[in-house]
Amino acid sequence: MRLTAVLITVLASVAAGSAASAGQQTGRTTNDAVFTAEQAMRGQMLYQTQCATCHGSTLAGAEAAPALTGSLFAVSWTEVPVGDLFERIRLSMPQDKPGTLGRQQTADVVAYILSFNKAPAGQVELPGDLEVLKAVRIVAAQ
Amino acid sequence: MQSRRLLVVSLVLIGAVIGVSSGRPVLGQAGAPASGEWPTYGGDLASTRYSPLDQINAENFSKLEVAWRFKTDSLGPRPEFNFQSTPLMVGGVLYSTAGTRRAVVALDAATGEQIWMYSLNEGARGDAAPRRLSGRGLAYWTDGKEARILYVTPGYRLIALDAKTGDRVPGFGTDGIVDLKLDDDQDMDLVAADIGLHAAPVVAKDIIIIGAAHLVSGVPRSRTNVKGYVRGFDVRTGKRRWIFHTIPLPGEFGNDSWENDSWSYTGNAGVWAQMSIDEELNLAYLPVELPTGDAYGGHRPGAGLFGESLVAVDLQTGQRKWHRQLVHHGLWDHDIPCAPILVDITVNGRPIKAVAQPAKQGFVYVFDRATGDPVWPIEERPVPKGDVPGEWYSPTQPFPTKPPAFDRQGVTLDDLIDFTPELKAEAVKMVSRYKLGPLFTPPVVSKWEGPLATLVLPNFNGGVNWPGGSFDPETKLLYLYSFTQIWALGVVPSDGKRSDMNYISGLARNPDAPPPTPGAGGGGEGGPPPLTVQGLPIIKPPYGRITAIDLNKGEIVWQVAHGETPDNIKNHPALKGLNIPRTGQPLGRIGTLPTKTLVIAGEPAFTTTATGQRGAMLRAYNKATGVEVGAVYLPAPTTGSPMTYMANGRQHIVVAISGGAYSGELLAFRLPS
Repeated sequence: MRLTAVLITVLASVAAGSAASAGQQTGRTTNDAVFTAEQAMRGQMLYQTQCATCHGSTLAGAEAAPALTGSLFAVSWTEVPVGDLFERIRLSMPQDKPGTLGRQQTADVVAYILSFNKAPAGQVELPGDLEVLKAVRIVAAQ
Repeated sequence: MQSRRLLVVSLVLIGAVIGVSSGRPVLGQAGAPASGEWPTYGGDLASTRYSPLDQINAENFSKLEVAWRFKTDSLGPRPEFNFQSTPLMVGGVLYSTAGTRRAVVALDAATGEQIWMYSLNEGARGDAAPRRLSGRGLAYWTDGKEARILYVTPGYRLIALDAKTGDRVPGFGTDGIVDLKLDDDQDMDLVAADIGLHAAPVVAKDIIIIGAAHLVSGVPRSRTNVKGYVRGFDVRTGKRRWIFHTIPLPGEFGNDSWENDSWSYTGNAGVWAQMSIDEELNLAYLPVELPTGDAYGGHRPGAGLFGESLVAVDLQTGQRKWHRQLVHHGLWDHDIPCAPILVDITVNGRPIKAVAQPAKQGFVYVFDRATGDPVWPIEERPVPKGDVPGEWYSPTQPFPTKPPAFDRQGVTLDDLIDFTPELKAEAVKMVSRYKLGPLFTPPVVSKWEGPLATLVLPNFNGGVNWPGGSFDPETKLLYLYSFTQIWALGVVPSDGKRSDMNYISGLARNPDAPPPTPGAGGGGEGGPPPLTVQGLPIIKPPYGRITAIDLNKGEIVWQVAHGETPDNIKNHPALKGLNIPRTGQPLGRIGTLPTKTLVIAGEPAFTTTATGQRGAMLRAYNKATGVEVGAVYLPAPTTGSPMTYMANGRQHIVVAISGGAYSGELLAFRLPS
């Protein structure tokens, strides 16, 4: 019951974030150094053990899993809040054991995906806080 | 509660009465019944997906309003983001699989109010399933007295439910359940075996036909795997009536197409796509997928029947009547991904009961469905031979002479992005490390110095994929959505840890890059860069299209880019000032819905829509010309194929949507009252 309530709250937040993002063109983006290089390295370790089987070691995707880089990633996730990508992964991945990555681990994987897509690293780690992540948009690397 | 149960009973009884009085099943090649129901996954057993309804038309499509919506989050332990169902509607009740547990729901078709829900928690068996989530749908059966809903769980159980109540049917299998991992002419682990099904069952003449799906097989765990046999079951008892060995046993036709006894251990070759049935000819049409190993077939030498074959079997016995192999010894993951469509056409004045099979590789193969003879010649043409050690190559592959390919096949420099000379030059430089060639150019052993891979169009997702095509039985036009996305198809030696195959799908790493993560089989940072040019697709548009094909003539009538230009392309600085027509979207599995008045399809990707909202559009086209005549907003892309029905005198269109962080939802549209 409690879990359901939390889930509903989270989903409502995601929906609100998505709606809010529609016309939102200001604020922080993934070009603003929103993760650290060390975090992306942790995320790479997790990615290669938890995600690469389906999404490929080069993030190129496969028949049953979409690409997490290149034009397909850009089509699906450009201008989307990082929080949406975070929540999608946190709630539904890895597909064979969804929900087993914690918030920080999920943030690490997101950091790796962003890093792989040439987003710049900085001095502050990407947090596992949905409210913060909702305020950061995914954009093409400059 | 009492009133709700009364509503259930009333709706189902009305449905049963309508069914009897209309002589149902009306499931031939004429589309969904004129009564306004949608009684089977493909609208009819021919998989036309056609509806004769006409209340929604070109003049009013854009005025559609959301009639109701049904969120699926609570039908499983977590939300689903890839909701692929096409519901059924019979007697005023809409039935669908839904949620990460693959529950079944019955909804009031006019309001979306839930009538009943059934869910089976399969525990570890469900968690180990190769094909999870809510699946693509279910089947409805009635004899005029009772009505049943039939579906397959993620853990590969066939379940019969009372359509009135959602209760399991006691006389079917064991307490309403048939364990599909048993009685399959092979032994398998009841929990962990690599077999399942996400397609909807198909039922006719009291026979339920069930196929099989497996994990994707680019990097199979082993050359030895479960075989994807097809079985027929008695709809009343659940007893097995027949089995068709998609990998034939010794003594059976086709076994000699497997050299070195490779039939004995090779698996897969399931039918994970939808099947179609001609009750009059008493034939079921089975589109069989690839055997084990999507890109390497060195462990399965030979043509490998019935891999990537369309097989017609007797509905009552499962005996093969005819077959046509569309790809010999496939190395491109073509499978046969979607329902064969049964079409009654007239070619050069001769009426033909035909079957049209769309395929990932961009062809529609058309056969006489009684005999398997091609309607237009299909030529065996020489194809390039590769040099992957141990591989077996077919010297020829079948090429239809009609209809023309509906999507681009193979890759040349002319296929590359050419918005500007600079972008083209970058693309040409990038592909210089790859092998280019026509359709059926085989994979290469990936080398960092080149070739890194064979560039392939269409890719492993098509072309078309599981939504397949649709067909207007009045105009004889076939409609299908396809998308154009390149694939770098290479193989690398297996290190023996992930797979006992000699070669698996993969690309070489930069030998100067840091070593990969231990046990991970490769490191992303050391791999080749994505096939994009400044973030743009390396190939030129259109990236997604709808094609209309006249099956009387075998000719393409029209083709339009489907799907708004993605934001990252529309707003790309390198394209500023250029007038680029709608590009379509380089992804997606989109079903087309032809009605009496329109052909309707949703978009596969989020964009910023004309009103500034982030979402997708459900679009309607003139059936004869492809001109867009209307569109309505969706809050998320379509992930299931749309269907339509009448409820309370009003036409509804229902489609499953999801994607990004938007969880699965059924969305119903109708005109304002």
